[in-house]
Amino acid sequence: MACPPAAHPSPERQPSVKVILASADVQRVVDRIAHQILEKTQGAADTVLLGIPTRGAPLARRLAARISTFEDVDVPVGVLDITLYRDDLRRHATRAVGPTQLPPGGIDGKRVVLVDDVLFSGRTVRAALDALNDVGRPASVQLAVLVDRGHRELPIRADYVGKNIPTALAESVKVTLVETDGADEVRLCGGTR
Amino acid sequence: MVKRRSAILVLEDGRTFHGESYGSVGETFGEAVFNTGMTGYQETLTDPSYHRQVVVQTAPHIGNTGVNTEDDESDRIWVAGYVVRDPARIGSNWRATGGLEDRLGVEGVVGIAGVDTRALTRHLRERGAMRVGISSVEDDPRALLERVRQSPQMVGADLSAEVSTAAPYVVEAEGEHRYTVAALDLGIKRNVPRRLAARGVTTHVLPAGSTIDDLLATGADAVFFSPGPGDPATADGPVALAREVLSRRIPLFGICFGSQILGRALGFGTYKLGYGHRGINQPVLDRATGKVEVTSHNHGFAVAWPGHGDGPAGAVVPDQVIDTEFGGVRVSHVCLNDNVVEGLRAVDVPAFTVQYHPEAAAGPHDADYLFDRFAELIEGRGPDGQPGAGRNHSEGRTNA
Repeated sequence: MACPPAAHPSPERQPSVKVILASADVQRVVDRIAHQILEKTQGAADTVLLGIPTRGAPLARRLAARISTFEDVDVPVGVLDITLYRDDLRRHATRAVGPTQLPPGGIDGKRVVLVDDVLFSGRTVRAALDALNDVGRPASVQLAVLVDRGHRELPIRADYVGKNIPTALAESVKVTLVETDGADEVRLCGGTR
Repeated sequence: MVKRRSAILVLEDGRTFHGESYGSVGETFGEAVFNTGMTGYQETLTDPSYHRQVVVQTAPHIGNTGVNTEDDESDRIWVAGYVVRDPARIGSNWRATGGLEDRLGVEGVVGIAGVDTRALTRHLRERGAMRVGISSVEDDPRALLERVRQSPQMVGADLSAEVSTAAPYVVEAEGEHRYTVAALDLGIKRNVPRRLAARGVTTHVLPAGSTIDDLLATGADAVFFSPGPGDPATADGPVALAREVLSRRIPLFGICFGSQILGRALGFGTYKLGYGHRGINQPVLDRATGKVEVTSHNHGFAVAWPGHGDGPAGAVVPDQVIDTEFGGVRVSHVCLNDNVVEGLRAVDVPAFTVQYHPEAAAGPHDADYLFDRFAELIEGRGPDGQPGAGRNHSEGRTNA
């Protein structure tokens, strides 16, 4: 969904845009999730971070970098493409299939932490669980998201949440990251606020 | 705003954190401990139990309400150093009379700000309390580490005399005077005599080196052993004094360090906890009533219960009464986080103690009833409110 940058003053009757997390907030939130992963996984032993493209992948790399800074632990990072596992594959023109890159040690018997930017219906995560099934058998799977905006359509929840944003269904949440979009920001667009 | 000097924090095991100078510029050493309280930093700083300890505040914002002239728990700041994440730029409160950083500066307390206190706390929790150095004058962590390793340990530290009052003083009862209590000052907090005064108790606060005769000379109806810093294994004087008090069947109440003293007087051991209990939301079970209290804690040592081992691994058997030289003793309170002994109650002599802080400051007032129990004990009723121990005690008092 189109969501203009908040920097432009939006004239009346245009959808409102509100910055929920600015650049420093995004960094702080990533730091906190890294701390929480360390605490909940007893020092991130036998843990693998798998980012879901597009923005989950750089987020996973950032989390690994922060974990390395905090406790000097190197957590393997990979990318899990879920395009072909989506349940709306037949309904929409699909996006390009990306590569799935597993870390050299694989994921068998490991604790996999899936990383994504926004948790919404839960369908992406369901697809990711299917995708995982085809590449190995982790000991357990956890989920870290930068934003949980609610409106789940499946029984899925996140283990680590950067920011809970109560939203209306008509609103959209847009995450931008330096790696993919040039700036770190989370914006809430649309709605009547 | 003036740019702060850079500062370093080095733990005994070599882990180094970088930050900025906070409070006084200089260098300090102590035992690194963390406090989980989100409020009450002024009470924490002025609590004598923190003598020779460097306190890490897990709450990220410190100094928001400045400092005032009412909340001090003693007449100075006792912490050896102070570690905060994000100090308030402006303190604001209707009671505030100054800023926290200014106060730290005036009292010469070296601190460090901008430290990742979450990572630091996790480090201490996993590896245990250890010595630490903070410096805003030394740039080389290795040089500071050398000095940290030469600084004194907390195990074996006898600190009571350093924090105790030099001369006795009296805190008068509010309203009608009912009882007189002799309090041995091993690092007492102001709120203890205040809580007692609210119950009509006049408290004579006596220096740590006082003898049984000094205590009795006050005409005391009961004796109180205060909280305080240090290793209870070194407190031979107070332990001997507690034995005198017990053998005379004078009602005795102890808090924190005072609880460890009673434990040792009864013949139990004490041991150092991995990283101690420090905070204001620690759940404690009162085994007499089955109620859980949320309590204020500040202790790095605890009483070793027989069969409980040297650590929190085993559970204390419910209703177990252990015979000691002074009759039966049971565990009255346990911490629900790790099963550490938090209170002892003598069955045959009028004595009970708690390891935590019913006087709060800072913290919740759930355990305030313990001061009522103490008053009831003096009145001649047992610690459960039953007659028995108290009757013996009145005989004891005539003998004394």
